[in-house]
Amino acid sequence: MSFEGKILLVDDEAHVRKFISLVVRQLGSPQIIEASNGAEAVEIYKQESPELVLLDVNMPVQDGLETLKQIVQHDPNAVVVMLTSLANRQTVQEAVQNGAVNYLRKDTPKDEILQALRRTIADCFPSNT
Amino acid sequence: MQLLQNTRIPFPSFEPRETPPQFPSRGPGTSAEPNLLGRKLLVVDDDRLNIRILAGLLQTEGYVIAEANSGEQALEVYEGFRPDLVLLDVVMPGIDGFETCRELRNRYGVNAAPVIFITAKNDSEDVVEGLASGGVDYLPKPFRRKEALARIRTHLQNRILIEQQKLLVEQLKQANDAKNKLVGMAAHDLRNPLASIRGLAEFLTDGTVGPMSPDQLDLVKMIHSESQSMLNLVNELLDVSTIAAGELKINRESCDLAELLEKSVYLSNINAARKSTRISLQTPQAPVTAMIDASKIRQVVDNLLSNAIKYSPPASEVRVRLQKSDTGLEIAVQDQGPGIPEGERHRLFKDFGTLSVKPTGGEKATGLGLAICHKIVEAHQGSIAATNLPNGGCEFSIQLPA
Repeated sequence: MSFEGKILLVDDEAHVRKFISLVVRQLGSPQIIEASNGAEAVEIYKQESPELVLLDVNMPVQDGLETLKQIVQHDPNAVVVMLTSLANRQTVQEAVQNGAVNYLRKDTPKDEILQALRRTIADCFPSNT
Repeated sequence: MQLLQNTRIPFPSFEPRETPPQFPSRGPGTSAEPNLLGRKLLVVDDDRLNIRILAGLLQTEGYVIAEANSGEQALEVYEGFRPDLVLLDVVMPGIDGFETCRELRNRYGVNAAPVIFITAKNDSEDVVEGLASGGVDYLPKPFRRKEALARIRTHLQNRILIEQQKLLVEQLKQANDAKNKLVGMAAHDLRNPLASIRGLAEFLTDGTVGPMSPDQLDLVKMIHSESQSMLNLVNELLDVSTIAAGELKINRESCDLAELLEKSVYLSNINAARKSTRISLQTPQAPVTAMIDASKIRQVVDNLLSNAIKYSPPASEVRVRLQKSDTGLEIAVQDQGPGIPEGERHRLFKDFGTLSVKPTGGEKATGLGLAICHKIVEAHQGSIAATNLPNGGCEFSIQLPA
């Protein structure tokens, strides 16, 4: 399975974007677009309509949940995976209720992140497998 | 008499005041002896002459006095005056001294001022009733001045010490909360960068971003393994501070324990393989389900497995067993390590309770892992125990209610 689509990667921390983008590249040859805050992410989403969004929960100015709501409002079929540092159950539930398809803990080893992303892609894009 | 109020000048006709006992200094900012000057006493007696005698004596000692002629009036005066001690006559018209004392206890609870009964009644029955109603002491009338003053001083000093103690406990609690919060914040802020350092180092070691020389590879592997241990430590500190703040929440859901153990054993086998150690798993045929917080119990099992590998010599066998027990379910992990030294057993499940037993492959021990396991299992109303095995090694077993 190889994923060639557009991925929007949103995190306020550059080192996280670097790490996650290296993980994501192993999915195939996706086009990765990075955003460092929620407002920017919503703008990019509207212009680029990425297939997959990886969205940090804790961000200054506009947090991940608010960003998620705006993206889903614009596109109810958006595929959004939340990135968290603490898998806070309440936050995760709230994200899922607002349309996120999954969540990933940023401190998990890269192979586990990769595995989880492959599963999500297989679930959300059956034609891709 | 009025002129002498609030002074320490002894009234000429009284004996000079005894030197109060010296308390050891408790460091800067606190007086060596609780200062009784200006402390407030409420004197309650239906006989005005008695009040006048008592009040006169006490005022010369530097106490501030309020008076009441009945139990009812005492309760009224108490509310506004807030005395540090009450001298209470027992036999009075209206509500008597015992009743008044009980009412004070009712209204003000443990914060009520100590009550010393003063009465002509002094048979043991009355003493018992007086103490049962919440009084701290009893002075028979006619009292000896020296004795009365000494007892009043003692109870006032006790009261002051109790107040100081409460304040100190409150301050310590606040300081401890602040410490937990700080540890939590620090751990949280360190976590993301550490996770990235570890992740990026992993990408360097596996050649994703190009080849490295053996020497470079060696260095990067060290960065990877050190950042991994730091991340573990930070995660454990975060757990400890969360637990200390009383925020350990157990979200129970139905869980297949055999499946949980299989996953944990599968991943732990990767670490075990580095020391040529093997983990075997024995589960019952029938599925074993329990209402647990799966991620928390998984954390406990992962920790026990990691310890078993850590403390067993290379090429050992670690056995994991799941079975039904009398009280519910049991998960047991057996290692081939040196066991728990009897003299160190009490430290095993305490925070930072590292033992003299050392990891066999240079692994790190923070002394937090088992403390966290203990708290998670307890939060499930279960128990965790360690038993040294007769043929060497140690078994950690978790009992969970069914």
